[in-house]
Amino acid sequence: MTPYRLVADALEDVASRRGRNAKVARLARALSDVEDEDLPAAARFLSGSAFAEHEAATTSAGWATISAAAREVTGWNEDTLASCASAIGDLGEAVSLLLAPSVPEGPSVADADAFFRRLSAARKAAEKRALLVDLLERSSAVEAKFLLKTLSGGLRVGADLTTVEEAIAAAFSRSREDVARAHRDSGDIGETALAAKQDRLHEIQFRLFHPIGFMLASPIETAEEVAGELTGFAVEDKFDGIRAHAHKQGDRVALFSRTLDDVTAQFPDVAADLSRLPGTFLLDGEILAWRGDRAESFFKLQRRLGRKAPEPALLEEIPAAFVAYDCLAEGGEPLFEAPWRARRERLEQLAAEGELRLSRVYSAASPEELEALFTAARERGNEGLVLKETGSFYQAGRRGRAWRKWKKALATLDVVVTAVEQGHGKRAGMLSDYTFAVRGENGFVNIGKAYSGLTDEEIRRMGTIFRGLTTGRYGPVRAVEPKVVIEVSFDSIQPSARHKSGFALRFPRIVRLRPDKPVSEITTLEEVRELYARLSGSPQQ
Amino acid sequence: MLPDSEPSLAPHLETRPAGLYAPAFETYLDPSEPVPRALLSHAHADHAVEGHGEIWGTPETLAFYRRRNPEWAGSERKISFGESVEAGGAGLTLLSSGHILGAAQALFSSGAGSLLYTGDFKRRTSRTARPAETARASTLVIETTFGLPVFRFPPRERLEERILTACREAFAEGETPVILAYSLGKSQEAAAILGEAGIPTVLHGAAWKLLPDFAVAGVALPGARPYESGPPTREEALITPPSTSRTSMVRGIKKRRVIYLSGWAMRSASRAELDADVLIPMSDHADFDDLLAHVRDVGPKRVLTHHGFAREFARILSEKGIDAAALPGREERPRDET
Repeated sequence: MTPYRLVADALEDVASRRGRNAKVARLARALSDVEDEDLPAAARFLSGSAFAEHEAATTSAGWATISAAAREVTGWNEDTLASCASAIGDLGEAVSLLLAPSVPEGPSVADADAFFRRLSAARKAAEKRALLVDLLERSSAVEAKFLLKTLSGGLRVGADLTTVEEAIAAAFSRSREDVARAHRDSGDIGETALAAKQDRLHEIQFRLFHPIGFMLASPIETAEEVAGELTGFAVEDKFDGIRAHAHKQGDRVALFSRTLDDVTAQFPDVAADLSRLPGTFLLDGEILAWRGDRAESFFKLQRRLGRKAPEPALLEEIPAAFVAYDCLAEGGEPLFEAPWRARRERLEQLAAEGELRLSRVYSAASPEELEALFTAARERGNEGLVLKETGSFYQAGRRGRAWRKWKKALATLDVVVTAVEQGHGKRAGMLSDYTFAVRGENGFVNIGKAYSGLTDEEIRRMGTIFRGLTTGRYGPVRAVEPKVVIEVSFDSIQPSARHKSGFALRFPRIVRLRPDKPVSEITTLEEVRELYARLSGSPQQ
Repeated sequence: MLPDSEPSLAPHLETRPAGLYAPAFETYLDPSEPVPRALLSHAHADHAVEGHGEIWGTPETLAFYRRRNPEWAGSERKISFGESVEAGGAGLTLLSSGHILGAAQALFSSGAGSLLYTGDFKRRTSRTARPAETARASTLVIETTFGLPVFRFPPRERLEERILTACREAFAEGETPVILAYSLGKSQEAAAILGEAGIPTVLHGAAWKLLPDFAVAGVALPGARPYESGPPTREEALITPPSTSRTSMVRGIKKRRVIYLSGWAMRSASRAELDADVLIPMSDHADFDDLLAHVRDVGPKRVLTHHGFAREFARILSEKGIDAAALPGREERPRDET
């Protein structure tokens, strides 16, 4: 039985190591100390996740639940807990500091795994609280710190999944490529770790209907940046929809979003279209609101988001369609290690055999031609361009330089909502005013506040979500966990002492919800600084 | 803010815009702006602003004040620990506060009872400051920088061990230990700990220039040299104030392990805030338990809190049935521990 302490101590050490190699070495040492039966869970915990990436389970316990459990375990009242959380900057960490520095026998890795699974299954707040109380009573400060950080999603020790992959390779003397491939195909760093230890990495095979990480593009800002390499790139429009992987075999279809959530039920029309195609495949593409022969704006598609199953009237009003741009498997055969060019050929064959919408592929011989393609893409209502190296493999879950994206210079910011409050007048009683933040060097920093540009119905739906994310109340303002990503537009940006970011937006407007965008990918303060430097406060078009 | 706190300061102290004032001695206590006469509990800049007409304090505090404000030309009155000053029917005695070298608590007494003003204090022993004393008093004015139960520091020996381990591991991996420590007190304390363990240190100028005053008080730091004579070489540790953590002096050391020594190191967030690696909560302030212990030992009828988590600590005392209130004052929290 492996103690969870082993994981917690390793994470504390990893946080205090600067170099990536040192972090990898420390993680590798921890992984090799774990017993086989605990290795899958321990590897997931070391990567900051309670579950395998492909599992639908999520952990959720809001401020109220954690604080109630902490009251019961520590004896401190709500006022003191709130003060402590504000002093430390994190409720979970504050709670951990109120526990004993060490306990005779803390929870095991198996206990922690069972805790997260029970918590995920628990529906009632009282049930969740009881589970937390039980765990906290048995935990020391360092154990509780990382258990609670895992619970709220974010260890912040400077080790991502790739770092853990490297540690697995180092711990069990396997090649990094083999570990990465097994991880991609299993969608579970835990299963990968155990297979690596037992020399069974080759047994992990690609499976359809098992979510796969998405290959991401690195941003460019001008055509000149790629001037020397243009001949190696295919160019496509960058669509403004929901990126999705479509798995299909027989008449079974599954759609997975970038967060590896199964969104099939949200898009029955898309699934039905795809199910009519012949063959077995995995496609990468974009879900778009579709009318006639063209894509409609994201505003429309937005209304389809966040519902378990849309009612027929909505399907009628806003039909959605899948535009494919990559073929990652066909007939059960994975194509990740085939060059883009070959994958595109397979995709075109599929389209020839059935009704499948494909992205159009262009080429540009010069920066000027690329500029012209960019302008045309914008005129078609798309975001910009994606450039794909025609000889590149599909690097699942990675952001590499094989794919580049060229978007319009930050006309909007992707921000996370940190506080909400009730509106006035027509929207009194609704949580319609959002305070939002960008990612600074030391956590989120607020940059503005805007009245919702959403529909009343959306505001109501978001209100329910925000109530569940509330971490504290200050008069009419609710502080919320930074989980909801929105896109805001603005007229100009200027330095300001009003917000912690040091900037303020002029006339910020909420453009739309971005449930497809992970919080880890929102706009950074550095990008805001660059943007400001570029615009020097002049109005944006 | 809390008008009922005023009477319990009387007759020894009253609140004025520049800070606490002792009418019998016509002196302010650690005022935040220049005044005709100031009693300085210790020489940290937030307690000892430049430009007073006259300063009272321990010989060590006065020496630091002159060293840090070479242009200043006012007069001074040295009051040694244990020495009593009488005026207007009241007595004033300075007791060690244990915060840094020369740091004092002020005990006021008269027929109307006694009042202990702690200044900044810590009850744990250290190598460079006299241990804190306690005295019974009917009113206690206590600093509450760390007045929340999340601030409970591990035992001193454990922290020293962690400092040495971090430095030795850094050396073993070819890294230079960079210790972020406030220039007056913590830097010299760190140099003393490392020097005793045989680790030579390089001190930032702000800390180095104070060494003569430490030497006069009998605190020698063998193995320390100034940064002026060159950046740290292999097997030397750099000791520099937290405010320098993002300067080229620190960033220029490519292979480094940055060790932050402060009570604020209890917060993981300080790692990102200071670009630090190893967080070690070695503080010159009392932690939460020591604040409670001080209240218990002084045995006051009424406690007045200031600095840091003043309202929070007063509330916690009140919940324990102790008559306590926060003094009106600045709300901001020092991030650099002084």
